[in-house]
Amino acid sequence: MKKMISLNINGESYQVAVENRRTLLEVLREDLKLTGTRVMCNQGDCGSCTVLLDGVAVNSCLVLASDAVGKQVETIEGVAQGGALHPIQEEFIAKGAIQCGFCTPAMVLTTKALLAANPDPTEEDIKQTVAGTLCRCTGYVRIIDAIKGAAARRKES
Amino acid sequence: MAELRYVGKGLPRVDALEKVTGQAMYTLDLTLPNMLYGGLLRSPLPHARILSIDTGKAERLLGVKAVITGKDTPYTFGVSHMDQTPLQTEKVRYVGDAVAAVAAVDQDVLAEALSLIQVEYQELPAVFDPHEAMQEGAPLVHEDKPGNIASNPRYDIGDVEKAFREADYVFEDHFETQRVAHVCPEPHNNLAVWDASGKLTFYYCSQMPSVTRVQLSKAFNLPESRIRVVTNTVGGGFGSRATSKFPMDFAAIVLAKKSGRPVKIAYNRADEFIHSTFRHKFIMTVKTGINRDGTITGRHVTNICDNGAYSDYGPVVTNVGGALQGTLYKFMNYKYDGYCVYTNLPYGGAMRGIGNPQVHYACEAQLSMIAERIGLDPLELRLKNAVETGDETASGAILQSCGLKECLTQAAEKIGWKEKKANPEPNRGLGIACGVHFTGVRLSPGIDADFAGATITVNDDGSVNLATSCVEIGSGSSTVLSQICAEVLGIGLDKINIICGDTETCPMGWGSRASRNTAVGGMAVQKAAEDARTQILALASQKLEIHPDDLEIKEGVITAKGAPDRSLTVAEAVRFGRYRQGGTAVMAKAHWDAPSTLADPKTGRGNFSMAFSFGAKALEVEVDPATGRINVLGVAASQDLGKAVNPLAVKGQVEGGVHMGLGFAMYEQIMLDEQGRMKNPYLLDYRIPTVMDMPPVIPILVESQDPVGPFGAKGVGEMATIGMPEALIAAVAEATGLWITDLPITPEKVFLGLKAKKAAE
Repeated sequence: MKKMISLNINGESYQVAVENRRTLLEVLREDLKLTGTRVMCNQGDCGSCTVLLDGVAVNSCLVLASDAVGKQVETIEGVAQGGALHPIQEEFIAKGAIQCGFCTPAMVLTTKALLAANPDPTEEDIKQTVAGTLCRCTGYVRIIDAIKGAAARRKES
Repeated sequence: MAELRYVGKGLPRVDALEKVTGQAMYTLDLTLPNMLYGGLLRSPLPHARILSIDTGKAERLLGVKAVITGKDTPYTFGVSHMDQTPLQTEKVRYVGDAVAAVAAVDQDVLAEALSLIQVEYQELPAVFDPHEAMQEGAPLVHEDKPGNIASNPRYDIGDVEKAFREADYVFEDHFETQRVAHVCPEPHNNLAVWDASGKLTFYYCSQMPSVTRVQLSKAFNLPESRIRVVTNTVGGGFGSRATSKFPMDFAAIVLAKKSGRPVKIAYNRADEFIHSTFRHKFIMTVKTGINRDGTITGRHVTNICDNGAYSDYGPVVTNVGGALQGTLYKFMNYKYDGYCVYTNLPYGGAMRGIGNPQVHYACEAQLSMIAERIGLDPLELRLKNAVETGDETASGAILQSCGLKECLTQAAEKIGWKEKKANPEPNRGLGIACGVHFTGVRLSPGIDADFAGATITVNDDGSVNLATSCVEIGSGSSTVLSQICAEVLGIGLDKINIICGDTETCPMGWGSRASRNTAVGGMAVQKAAEDARTQILALASQKLEIHPDDLEIKEGVITAKGAPDRSLTVAEAVRFGRYRQGGTAVMAKAHWDAPSTLADPKTGRGNFSMAFSFGAKALEVEVDPATGRINVLGVAASQDLGKAVNPLAVKGQVEGGVHMGLGFAMYEQIMLDEQGRMKNPYLLDYRIPTVMDMPPVIPILVESQDPVGPFGAKGVGEMATIGMPEALIAAVAEATGLWITDLPITPEKVFLGLKAKKAAE
């Protein structure tokens, strides 16, 4: 049985007919074609499908779509505003933190949540935050650099 | 050489914007109208005869649009051995061998349909151990392969027995490596669609789309012109996508044909672990002759590669495992006996280094053991034997550039080798290891080619479309190739639109494998760009009435040398050529085949690559004797890459190589039960290093300026991951006194080893 739910994603309202068991990840990727949210394991081990739910980073594969009703969902598609990259995105590019790019949306969103909660993170804070998201290409070194860079820029502004 | 404007600069990736905004479209993101979801039914038994397959119930289920079995897929395929069929008709050879496939309107119907197919099996005796598989009377995985031997590559150079007789010492040691997975972030998936005219478009994340097209053309007996292979953004490859060769690919294509609708098959993570191939398990014996002064006289390596049920790249992996051990040190007596052995287990494939990391582990680990036994410094021992520029090695490699010694000394210096060796601390240890890998390779008998292609069209506005045979799999190749193109043409990087991965628009080439994109792919781009530059200058010469030799191009502007007032933009030159009587467009193409040779079939000797990349890893560990926990305090990773075309990108490759090597050394292992089922097919149980596990890494780039490659560049990707387990084993041994010779080196093994040692004392 499907029921209609209303989701607020990146500031826009979407009406979707979903079965109760469908995850937020499935609705984002399959129903709404917001494919910037990636799927690597679909069981909460890898962090690739990270989105922000009321500003908190969550694995969207572990959240039922119906549980996101009444909350603000932010996906990677909503991070760049008005054609301008977010400073976090600029730092990921400048520091060489991207290779195959599959984990990049999750890393960017995780960083956004981290800096909102903790504007001046230590390296250990950064590592603790990134630990939930797997990367197979970079060895994380430049991802940490990018997050440090983004934190520094946030402090400046 | 004139000052370089683009090459050698750490410029941002050309594909960064689409990746950082989530716009990049991976094959997994593609859907088509009316698309069906496909899936495979797999064998629950490791070795069994198929008595019957009843698909009736599945076919009658509402929402099922096509069901196929082996009768519908009468194709054989393979890399070196054509020993595989997509869906089995006679017997299954491992738990997971595919027997049927279904296309349905959604995943739920698909799952139900697969559960409704009834297969009757008669179980056969199975063999799970390669040693047992080689014994007389062992069950045969393939009836036409006696002794279960898929291949038996050998190298026999010099006189190794004489070298052992004349050596002061001869040491023999045994080593084992485990199966480790590529863990591509994007799981293997595809999308097949036939148009009304019978033309096939196959969306597929391949490292070599034009080779995929050749394979599909042969299998389906379809002209290549009727097949289009499209590779979108690729979420990691690491060798697993080095051909199209999976039952899932044939299944999607045949299901699409039968149903008349597009069909997508996507692996979940568990499928990905088991069915996308992995790094083979090697069981190795290394015998080395050495003199008191540390001169290595000769080496003999015996290697049994557990191939699994099908060959895929197994025979190539077994061969490459032996190919490079005669190219690291100066000894000229080298023997290798490789046995690639079938078992009733899931099958391995090509993975970053293709057999070389395993054998490097054994040989370099043994060299550190020998250093301890005869009382020499492991660094000095390596420096004493290291090959140098100008050497023709035992393997037959002619080294036109070699930064091995510099790699060793720099890695040692950065980790603080001398000071720390002089002041040892309890429970701490240092390890160093070095290695060599090829840059493109010519090792497949019957294929005497290792080329890449590039085409360049210069547009009306001076911008450039560059199409390459290399696929961007995450390594940064599209950026590096664009930099080379910009450098040669003298136009801005922002003017270049690089196109890759589509057989309809890109030239034929051997794709992204064997660390070849920058060097082999780069040479094709360089040659095409030189041609385009010549064409542009010829037009400018006509217009300006100045000899082409007296013209130069900078930032898209053509000027007369020494007379900067006489100039023309590239765009103006192109338009001058186009819009006139007898008009021409600026178009250039090049194929560049690496100047390497096939090996002598008798001895295995040959100069089988255009260039050889060297590297070293030095690392320090601290071991907790109470728990066995190993804390890697730091890694210095040096890489002789000829020339860093993009230092930012290449440092990222080196760091990523350390990460993957660390996983191989101490975290990762595919665990199989007694029937060959994977026990840990989840990322929680099969753990790749997280950021918390990563030690600080010091990447060191050694630029040895290769005379062959573009701007002096050589390969990087595979060498970057070699050296971690061999450095780690030595460091752990120094910290604990234990040599753990079977990978991975886990806290459990350290703990039990220390306990046993204490009990013995």
